Amino acid sequence: MNVLWIHRLTCCGNTHSFLNYEHLDKLFEKIKLLYHPSLSLNDEREVVENILSGKLDLDVLIVEGAVYEDDLEIKRLCETAKVVIALGSCASYGNIPALLNSRVCGLQYRFKNKGGLLGADFLSSSGKPVINLSGCPAHPDWIATILLSIYNDENIDLDQWNRPKVFYSTLAHWGCTRNEYFEWKIEAERLGSKKGCLFYYFGCRGPLTYSSCNKILWNSVSSKTRVGTPCFGCTEFDFPRVGLFETKQFANIPAELPIGVSKRGYIMLSGIAKVFAPERLKIED
Amino acid sequence: MRIEKRILARVEGTAYLELEWKDGVISDARVIVAGSRSLEKALEGRPVTDALVITPRVCGICGHAHLMASVLAIENALGNPQIPKKAELLRKITLNLEKIQNHIKWFYLFLMPDFLRLGEELKDFEPYSGSKWKKAISLCADITKAIALFAGQWPHSSYAVPGGVTSQPDIHQIYSAMQIVCNVKEFFLEDMVGMPEEEYKKLGESGLWEKIEGDCGIFIELTIKHGLDWKGKSYCRMITSEQVPSCNSVVKVFSGRRFHPANYESIQVLERSVYSQTQIVRYKWAPCETGPIVRRIASGDKIVIRLHKTYGSSFISRTLSRILEVWDLLIEVENHLKKLPSLLKEPSCLDLMDKVKRLNGEGVAFVEASRGMLMHRIKVIEGKIADYRIVTPSMWNLGPRCRRFLGVAEKSILNLNNPIHAEMVLKSFDACSVCTVR
Repeated sequence: MNVLWIHRLTCCGNTHSFLNYEHLDKLFEKIKLLYHPSLSLNDEREVVENILSGKLDLDVLIVEGAVYEDDLEIKRLCETAKVVIALGSCASYGNIPALLNSRVCGLQYRFKNKGGLLGADFLSSSGKPVINLSGCPAHPDWIATILLSIYNDENIDLDQWNRPKVFYSTLAHWGCTRNEYFEWKIEAERLGSKKGCLFYYFGCRGPLTYSSCNKILWNSVSSKTRVGTPCFGCTEFDFPRVGLFETKQFANIPAELPIGVSKRGYIMLSGIAKVFAPERLKIED
Repeated sequence: MRIEKRILARVEGTAYLELEWKDGVISDARVIVAGSRSLEKALEGRPVTDALVITPRVCGICGHAHLMASVLAIENALGNPQIPKKAELLRKITLNLEKIQNHIKWFYLFLMPDFLRLGEELKDFEPYSGSKWKKAISLCADITKAIALFAGQWPHSSYAVPGGVTSQPDIHQIYSAMQIVCNVKEFFLEDMVGMPEEEYKKLGESGLWEKIEGDCGIFIELTIKHGLDWKGKSYCRMITSEQVPSCNSVVKVFSGRRFHPANYESIQVLERSVYSQTQIVRYKWAPCETGPIVRRIASGDKIVIRLHKTYGSSFISRTLSRILEVWDLLIEVENHLKKLPSLLKEPSCLDLMDKVKRLNGEGVAFVEASRGMLMHRIKVIEGKIADYRIVTPSMWNLGPRCRRFLGVAEKSILNLNNPIHAEMVLKSFDACSVCTVR
């Protein structure tokens, strides 16, 4: 399977994330990277010309980085490729490079608006919209699994943001080791504390962010919340929000509640939870 | 005269090299970096702690160094609070580990494959299939795992916060990290320099770099064979920083013979050049090189000092400084890890968040990142960022010319007669375009 990896406005974080993939050598037995800017010896221009002139088949195009809205080369490559992957939040939504530059966008979105470089109706030659692997960066397993799934010609179910449901249908909250504190509404009062949930004071987006970070873990061992850092919601279109370490509150209630939770439900349950919280959770080591 | 524009592959990000040829040699060179992401501007008006999440996104390979610079700049603005020893060690450990994976990736993925382009038979270094290429990548994945044990993830952790770190590791994480460090030490000795520890230590004392074996030995042999050892000289002036106990750092300028204390206020960021989106950085109007070579000289590394005496700052001395730094970084990590178990009862972090929210002031921080001296400067009003300035090592090294001087890398390429040599010399700075433009 022929894969072309192209960089645009990027920090290359997705590349370095990808290099952490545990079974990289096995993956390279199945996919052929026609070109990767950080890894390949051959010439990018030559590969791109050969693809555009039809001499080389392009099965998957991976774009890493945000793009300018008039990037014709990327547009033509997207039209040629059987499947297009926007890798990382920059290529998916524009992310940081698009914050102050209205000419910069993602492949098929600009933040929450559909459109981007390719337009809302774009479908690749195999009839798929751009597959968004959002995340800043995307997890290596997300990239590798989707590549293998395309290789095996499987159907990839996408969510409303065109992200594969297999990785983006559960919340970053799932698997967080501080879940019990969340349940009983015991809040971390300061950073660096072993105990307490980071949702109430420190802006943790875990209950508001679709990603499998805490299920599959980063670098196979940990995650932000597992080391006491709040989740910043980097797989969502509104990353990076203003006030990343803060929870905005109205009348002592977080301005945004966990997805699907009503204000009334939250107030009632947290009241009860606090009253009945087990003592062992309250003691700081 | 002929002008040639080359895309640079296997560097961090996208960069072009424009070469002017006259009588078979390069008579002028421009390093062109495009693709500004306006990161500093995006920080203005945000709560100051947002920098801890956004500045690591400057660079996918040295984001941790940016995190450290951000947190130190904020702490500097707070009056340099004494953070817990545990947090200080953890920060040093994860920053060192980031540098170690950087240097190993750079050597095996970016630099060595260029010898294949010079016609060398180096099957082991072949991208995607070479055994050494694959081994280096999987080793680096292990190193980043060791970072994640403390920092949650790599790339793009934000675990360092004003007052310390967010994580509370226990002996499980510490011993897991120690095992990884043992593996990397073994790799360094067996694969990279091809000798047992005792022998390598002796070599370090004698400074006899010619005796290095292993993959570095292959590198030395090929470099000399292709006449690259003398190539790639730039200015003698170099700049570095040194961490001093009271939290922040001092800046030093190396004149080629000795170090002079420098005043960071004399670091100038001039206008953008006409051909590159990079700003021009100068110290007292003159260019300076930065990188492992100058910090190795400052730390008294006999191998690097001997190399520098013979070659000055050139392709071979820059490269070996970078690779051999891996060993010292590993030993440091090992020593810090050993100290951690007795500090686990310490708090991980001072509670400074309320102070940070009301902070008014200015802060500056210097961090020795993989590619050299990194500076962050911050102005904070009522807890919000009023101004954020970053000067990356790659701005010093890859930045464009001013009216009087060529850029550091530009000068190093002059008079070469082979475009692949030119690219390799440029890579000896560990060229990173993403850091150059942000």
